[in-house]
Amino acid sequence: MSFLIPCPNCGRRSVYEFRFGGEVQQALAADASVADWINYRFNRLNVAGMQTEWWFHRSGCRQWLKAVRNTISNEVVESFLPGERE
Amino acid sequence: MKFHFRGKPIEAKLGDTIAAALYRNGQRIFSRSFKYHRPRGLLCVSGRCPNCLMNVDGVPNVRTCITPVREGMRVKAQNAFPSLETDFLSVTQRFDWLMPVGWYYKTFTHPAMWHAAESTIRKAAGLGEVLPTPRTEYEHAWMHADTAVIGGGWSGMQAALAAADRGEQVVLVDDQTALGGETRYRKRAGEIPAGLIRTIHAAANVKILQSSYCFGLYEGNLLGVLQHSPHPGAAERLVHLRARHTVVAAGAYETPLLFPNNDLCGVMLSTGVQRLLRLYDIPAGKRAVIVGGPERTAEVCSDLREAGIDIIGLLDPAQIVAVIGSGSVRGVRTRSGSLPCDLVVVCGPRIPDAGLVAQAGGKIEWSDAHRAFLPKALPTDVSVVGDAAGETVGNTSVSLPTSKRAFVCLCTDVSSKDLCDGVAEGFDQIETLKRYTTVTMGPCQGRMCQLSAIEVCAHETGRSAGQTGVTTSRPPNPGVTLGVLAGPRHHPIRRTPMHYAHETLGAVWMDMSDWKRPRYYEGSSSAGEKECVLREYRAVRESVGLIDVSTLGKLDVRGHDSGKLLDKVYTHRFSDLRPGRVRYALMCDDGGIVLDDGTISRLGDDRYFVTTTSGNLDFVHQWLDWHLIGTGWDVHIVNVTAGYGAMNLAGPKSRDVLGKLTDCDLSSHAFPYMACREAQVNRIPVVLLRIGFVGETGWEIHCPAEAAEELWQVLMEEGREFGIRPFGVEAQRLLRLEKRHIIVGVDTDALTNPYEADMGWAVKLEKDSFVGKVLLSHAGKEQSRERLIGFVLQGPGVPPDGAAVVVDGRPAGRVTSSRYSPAKMAGVGLAWVQVSKACEGASIEVRIDGKLVQATVTMRPFYDPEGARLRQ
Repeated sequence: MSFLIPCPNCGRRSVYEFRFGGEVQQALAADASVADWINYRFNRLNVAGMQTEWWFHRSGCRQWLKAVRNTISNEVVESFLPGERE
Repeated sequence: MKFHFRGKPIEAKLGDTIAAALYRNGQRIFSRSFKYHRPRGLLCVSGRCPNCLMNVDGVPNVRTCITPVREGMRVKAQNAFPSLETDFLSVTQRFDWLMPVGWYYKTFTHPAMWHAAESTIRKAAGLGEVLPTPRTEYEHAWMHADTAVIGGGWSGMQAALAAADRGEQVVLVDDQTALGGETRYRKRAGEIPAGLIRTIHAAANVKILQSSYCFGLYEGNLLGVLQHSPHPGAAERLVHLRARHTVVAAGAYETPLLFPNNDLCGVMLSTGVQRLLRLYDIPAGKRAVIVGGPERTAEVCSDLREAGIDIIGLLDPAQIVAVIGSGSVRGVRTRSGSLPCDLVVVCGPRIPDAGLVAQAGGKIEWSDAHRAFLPKALPTDVSVVGDAAGETVGNTSVSLPTSKRAFVCLCTDVSSKDLCDGVAEGFDQIETLKRYTTVTMGPCQGRMCQLSAIEVCAHETGRSAGQTGVTTSRPPNPGVTLGVLAGPRHHPIRRTPMHYAHETLGAVWMDMSDWKRPRYYEGSSSAGEKECVLREYRAVRESVGLIDVSTLGKLDVRGHDSGKLLDKVYTHRFSDLRPGRVRYALMCDDGGIVLDDGTISRLGDDRYFVTTTSGNLDFVHQWLDWHLIGTGWDVHIVNVTAGYGAMNLAGPKSRDVLGKLTDCDLSSHAFPYMACREAQVNRIPVVLLRIGFVGETGWEIHCPAEAAEELWQVLMEEGREFGIRPFGVEAQRLLRLEKRHIIVGVDTDALTNPYEADMGWAVKLEKDSFVGKVLLSHAGKEQSRERLIGFVLQGPGVPPDGAAVVVDGRPAGRVTSSRYSPAKMAGVGLAWVQVSKACEGASIEVRIDGKLVQATVTMRPFYDPEGARLRQ
């Protein structure tokens, strides 16, 4: 694993500067059912292809960001700060 | 220069590699083969074959033909007993009929058989052993380039210079000791381009990594480059080279031909002979037979004649019946008679070295015109130039005799007969044949045998080489030492602001993640750990003790919506916490699993002080940040862990000590349990939290880090009249265990919810919504499988962490923490047990040193169950 992530604040950096925060999931309503919460907590889409993910730039700006990664090639095609485009 | 080989000094000339110096001094056998222990000598002299692997200064499998001699280095042979010349295990080749291809799979069909044979086989086969030796120094470096050029031959230098002329930053990686590539040892390749080399050395934007090889091309154009002896202090350096564009100019390398006994010492590749001759001025032999097609032999003949080597014959490989000799070559038997000689020069097919292209996602395809596999369909950021692209490669078809002694793979002794047998047994695809026979899987990673293996497989299956295809190239190739991958031991150490005060007090240290913490204080006494810990324990329980808790994670949370955020991520409610009060804080994830705990103090309307466990600070900080995203709430979180020193003053006399230094009213009426105040102690601004992790009256004192050592000293000084003692982590763990306070991550694991840990009281399900609420309310209703209980041992001993809990002779749980409790005068601990046993007074058994000891379950603290002492 040696791919680069373009941080919106810091530019292209080694993946080892970041902490992986998992797939970006659809937020659940607070009163969603137990089954929905179990699904949210334990199940992942795990797509083979483009996936939007949370990353935290631990050794840089120390900000959470979203990155779109091709899970097959590990190429990160874009990244943005949360709220920039939803 | 002198070095030691098998304990004897060997003289080396300047510029010699180990193998060159040994060869000059008459050494002909360099290793013994993996399986049959056949003697093997120099073959490629370029670091691409497995024949010259030796142990150098304790490092196994060093390619001595490319490793320069260093003064005083110690070189040993490997895989040979008692010596390279006489290896008892070479007798195995007489029993090769007992070891057909796939021998392991056919023989060891039952685990018991393998276990019986394993230790013998491990000793007999294998490649050297790792010796306990003085540590070799390894280091890492990072480099960036617009263009990286792999290979310092003619094409590589041209490519580097062209990129440099475009103004790019260039790194040129060359595995030889000097630039020039083939021109250094092949006269036919032309004069050494001295002018070009001078220009490159002069170019300011070209960095040259000499004696370095690229072992892999990884994602994001990362090149793994291993640099030998970057400076006298380091044996190897791993360069992480990131380039926008990679030019593969690694050239082509020669591989052996197949004929019986093609592995004897004295059978050498023509380029190996040329290298010995031109780079080290060593004639490889006296009388040579040259094998190969006319297009290469003419060049080699003229080189050998010039060096005064007699040429006994020029043979086409198909004419050879066998090479004769035991150990070393004595002659060649041909269809028309025998030729006595001491050197067989093999002009074999040349392989474009383009493995990096395949690693980058390019294709390698067979070309009938070149009779070689060539890189095709290149990725956009990789290009291939020169012989690596097949520029001057023009191989002719070769003969493929089937013989048990025609070795395809020198690394693991796989012959052409073995490959044919493998195909006959049904492994007729190159990838399955590879796995079945281990061909191409040895230390040379198929460099010497890949083409022969493909050709044999193609021939046996009636397919073309192109249809047979090529085995996958994976990094690292060539291999790298684990030491250089691990790199230098740069482990950060964090010291608390009071570190040197502890040192003076005779602290015995322990590591807690990056932190150094006093485990206990030995002082000037000669007492053992047990005695010291007990002394510290008594001080806290009977008078007063002081512990450094600066390693606690500390977050300053401010802003109008701070309470809202804390309500959302912690299970308790904090928006209704009154200023000046402290509350225990438990954090769960969406699944209701315990993540962390600590305390939250409200210092003002919009100001909270949050502590976390030492190891979880970063996680908690990031967790809070993440939950703030998109809320628009007014919350500002600052990590003040390093900014504050912290210590816990605890014990019945703690009020007396602290009272001497502050105006703050410390009486239980004015400053009750679970209260907090901002105050001055000895004129140092502090935050005082009246909490009781250890179960006594006490204050956790947070102060600016720069004043922490002073405050510590003052408290120790003022406490002297009360018999104050510093206490360490070990005493603290005993004290907290007696109070049944859990440590997240020690007493809980990745499946623990608060109800199981008996901490349902810390979860406020009536709160609006918070992280984990739905699944926590679900868990609260469900009957859980296990509960965390306390136990008091009825017999002697203390179980280790993880000891088994036994009920009715069956495993029924595990111990998470246990200590001898002076208060109970018995071993006590925490354990996970099945719910049916989680009731006061139930009887369980705990396994200690193989014996079962009776224990009684309790759900209450072992010490001061009502918490009266905390509130005094």
